[in-house]
Amino acid sequence: MRIKGFAILAAATLLLLLATGCWNRQELNELGIVVAMGIDRDGDRFRVSVQVVQPGEVAAKSGGQSLRSPVAMYEASGRTIFEALRKMTTVSPRKIYASHLRVVVIGEALARQGIGTALDFLQRDHQVRSDFYLMVAKETTASSILNVLTPMERIPANDLYASNATAEKAWAPIFGITLGKFVTDLGSDGKQPVITGIGLNGDAEEGSNTRNVERIRPAAELQFSGMAVFRKDKLVGWLNEEESKSYNFILGNVRSTLENQSCPNGGELALEIIRTKANVKGHVRRGEPQVEIRLRVEENVGEIQCRIDLNKTAVVDELERRSEDRLREAMSKTIRKMQTEYQLDIFGFGQAIHRADPAAWRRLKRDWDRNFADMQVKLDVKTVIDRVGTINQSFLSKLEE
Amino acid sequence: MNSTALNAVLEANIAALREKLNNSGDLIVREFLIGSSAPAGAALFFIDGLADSHSIHQFILEPLMLQGASPMASGASLPGRLKDSLLTVGQIGEIRSLDELAESILSGKAALLLQGWDFGFEIAMAGWERRNVSEPTNQTVVRGPKESFTENLRTNTALIRRKIKDPALTLEERKIGRRTKTAVAMMFIQGIASDSVVREVRQRLDRIDTDAILESGYIEEFIQDEKITVFPTVQNSERPDSVAAALLEGHVALIVDGTPHVLVVPALFIQFMQASEDYYQRSDIGTLIRIIRYIGLFIALFGPALYIAITTFHQEMLPTQLLISLAAQREGVPFPAFIEGLMMEITYEILREAGIRMPRAVGQAVSIVGTLVIGQAAVEAGIVSPAMVIVVSITAISSFVVPQFNMSISIRILRFPLMALTASFGMFGLFIGGFALLLHLSGLRSFGVPYMSPVGPFHTGDLKDVILRAPHPSMRKRPSLLGKRNPVRQSRRRGGGRR
Repeated sequence: MRIKGFAILAAATLLLLLATGCWNRQELNELGIVVAMGIDRDGDRFRVSVQVVQPGEVAAKSGGQSLRSPVAMYEASGRTIFEALRKMTTVSPRKIYASHLRVVVIGEALARQGIGTALDFLQRDHQVRSDFYLMVAKETTASSILNVLTPMERIPANDLYASNATAEKAWAPIFGITLGKFVTDLGSDGKQPVITGIGLNGDAEEGSNTRNVERIRPAAELQFSGMAVFRKDKLVGWLNEEESKSYNFILGNVRSTLENQSCPNGGELALEIIRTKANVKGHVRRGEPQVEIRLRVEENVGEIQCRIDLNKTAVVDELERRSEDRLREAMSKTIRKMQTEYQLDIFGFGQAIHRADPAAWRRLKRDWDRNFADMQVKLDVKTVIDRVGTINQSFLSKLEE
Repeated sequence: MNSTALNAVLEANIAALREKLNNSGDLIVREFLIGSSAPAGAALFFIDGLADSHSIHQFILEPLMLQGASPMASGASLPGRLKDSLLTVGQIGEIRSLDELAESILSGKAALLLQGWDFGFEIAMAGWERRNVSEPTNQTVVRGPKESFTENLRTNTALIRRKIKDPALTLEERKIGRRTKTAVAMMFIQGIASDSVVREVRQRLDRIDTDAILESGYIEEFIQDEKITVFPTVQNSERPDSVAAALLEGHVALIVDGTPHVLVVPALFIQFMQASEDYYQRSDIGTLIRIIRYIGLFIALFGPALYIAITTFHQEMLPTQLLISLAAQREGVPFPAFIEGLMMEITYEILREAGIRMPRAVGQAVSIVGTLVIGQAAVEAGIVSPAMVIVVSITAISSFVVPQFNMSISIRILRFPLMALTASFGMFGLFIGGFALLLHLSGLRSFGVPYMSPVGPFHTGDLKDVILRAPHPSMRKRPSLLGKRNPVRQSRRRGGGRR
């Protein structure tokens, strides 16, 4: 009896296997693995370009590398992003598979018109994760950014991803913005979003050729530059390097960077910032919003081009004080620029106020841009120099004796 | 059984036995006279090759024919005198029927019948060719005893007795198989083994009614719990030390004449993951090896299925670089991953089977061809991807870290349905399969003991010997479900060393 029941169950299960038709099954060599996507404006439509990996050209293989490009680029236009992607099957032999998307580049023209409509697909589609980096193509189109072959990393998207991640750790003006982070800021009342900018240097035409990576110095290069400032989903302006740096200091995004400074008696010196801690605290005093930014910075002396005696505590103290002044000045300049020029709270001061005094925030947020422009910002910067490197005195001091 | 009584006339008995054995050529009948003054007719029966002819000459024929001549003590009958003073042999029994006569000489004994008496003697004279105790071939160890059971029942019971010199170690013997009359010995330690288990084993053995038992595998299939399962619920071992350890935990051992594989019941899942060496190496080493073994079990069971699931359904789970390199390997491979995996697995199973079955002399040729088929050539021809070769190879190797061969076969069988499930449903299928397996395992019993104990039902105290191998001083108690009649193994005091 039991054997009979078992047999029937087994037969039913076997039939079930046929019925599935291997639902959603895709072999690895049927996937067009998209690593980068570019979105531009094309009249009233979207122009979507994707960078698809050619696995055979990228994977480590013995016997040298072939001359074919490691990635292929497909472009298509559509009223919706989805339409454009599906339309690509008319030229691509494989279906677009976007789970491994690493970078999405948005053309500056589209960014100025607003990117809200473009981002819905990226958030909604089940294949796409939200942990890729968003970038804005500065003064060019997304498609031309994706059209450049890069040395070191054979896949240009990986190059963008990796250099963004590396710069984020070692160079304060750059900070990677993922889709998740951008959308969170977009949806928040007290903070306006920013996106990393990516620029193209050199000969764009030559950059798309494999010759570009055969040269010792590529004809075209991709370079990160500053942050794009958004009012809601529309790009309104750019922060330069100095301003981007201040922005990241205020938000506590800086892990390590360096800071140039002039010596007390002329010449330059560089301080390596090894640790920072930022804290933004909001208050509402007599109805007026205020924030206080506390920044704690630990530094090492990295390079000296002048005669100073680091054995003296007073000298080190002096360096600390100058560094504090400089940081404070740069930050307040950036804040002032946002307050006066854009009236745009990219720093999240509104959120700090919201946390500190929710009741007052409900009143303030109605006209937050104005309130932001008028608000008082206190800066409390403290830096500590820990180490001076492996030598004390620069040999310069001996040269001049 | 129709049991014809022996006749008082010697010639009639000889004729009857000849007829019963169909005049077999190896039946030796030696007729001779005992004594010289008043000679009494006698006949000695044995099977050439089963009985030791040298001993027969020395211990039966010589005393009877030479010393039998000495004056007969008054009053004593001839059989009594034979038994009491003439036969210088340890084991002597009486036989009264023709069937007994046939059975005793077929078991290698010599039988002595006398003219004028309707009974005779069987004399233990077994002396056939046998293999020496040698190193175990399947369950090898780096550290630990290097002896294994042989085909001889007596040798095997002696090997166990030599390890446990306890009067409570009980041995019950019975003959199973109408034609083979195979001796089966059941060993357990009175006072440790649970009565219900011993009774159950006894009953199941008595229920066997077959004509032949040639190996302990026959017994295993007759006595195992009647549930459809691929998992073994009877353990077998060729190592006296592991059988002795099992007896001390309260298991029952079944030793079958003619095979070096001794059965141990009840058998729990964890026993199949324990090797005797775990207990001979220090406990930290033992624990590490156990953990490795469970990882091996996981890979052997789920390896190819997991690979198929991830590469055909869940590519997003792979790191990008890995995905690209796997995709590159699959460029130009014509089959879906499932078919590819199935092909490689089946090829491997064929190779493995060939490796066991082939004549030793052609071994080298087969292994060369085998490595080519399963490796380089198949990849270079573009039939399979290198990654799949890696997966199949690591799976194959992993299945061998399971110390019990019959468990590793079960795992191999299960691999295929799991692969089919994941090829159709991805991870979802894998989990369904995994849970079904877990449910099935939890429902199994071996001689009334839950198969998954002490994990399910859960016994905290017994977990010292599942994934961990606790140091011996801290394993104070026997496994609670088996050895509960005498739970304590040792006193709390630790052994030597500084206190």
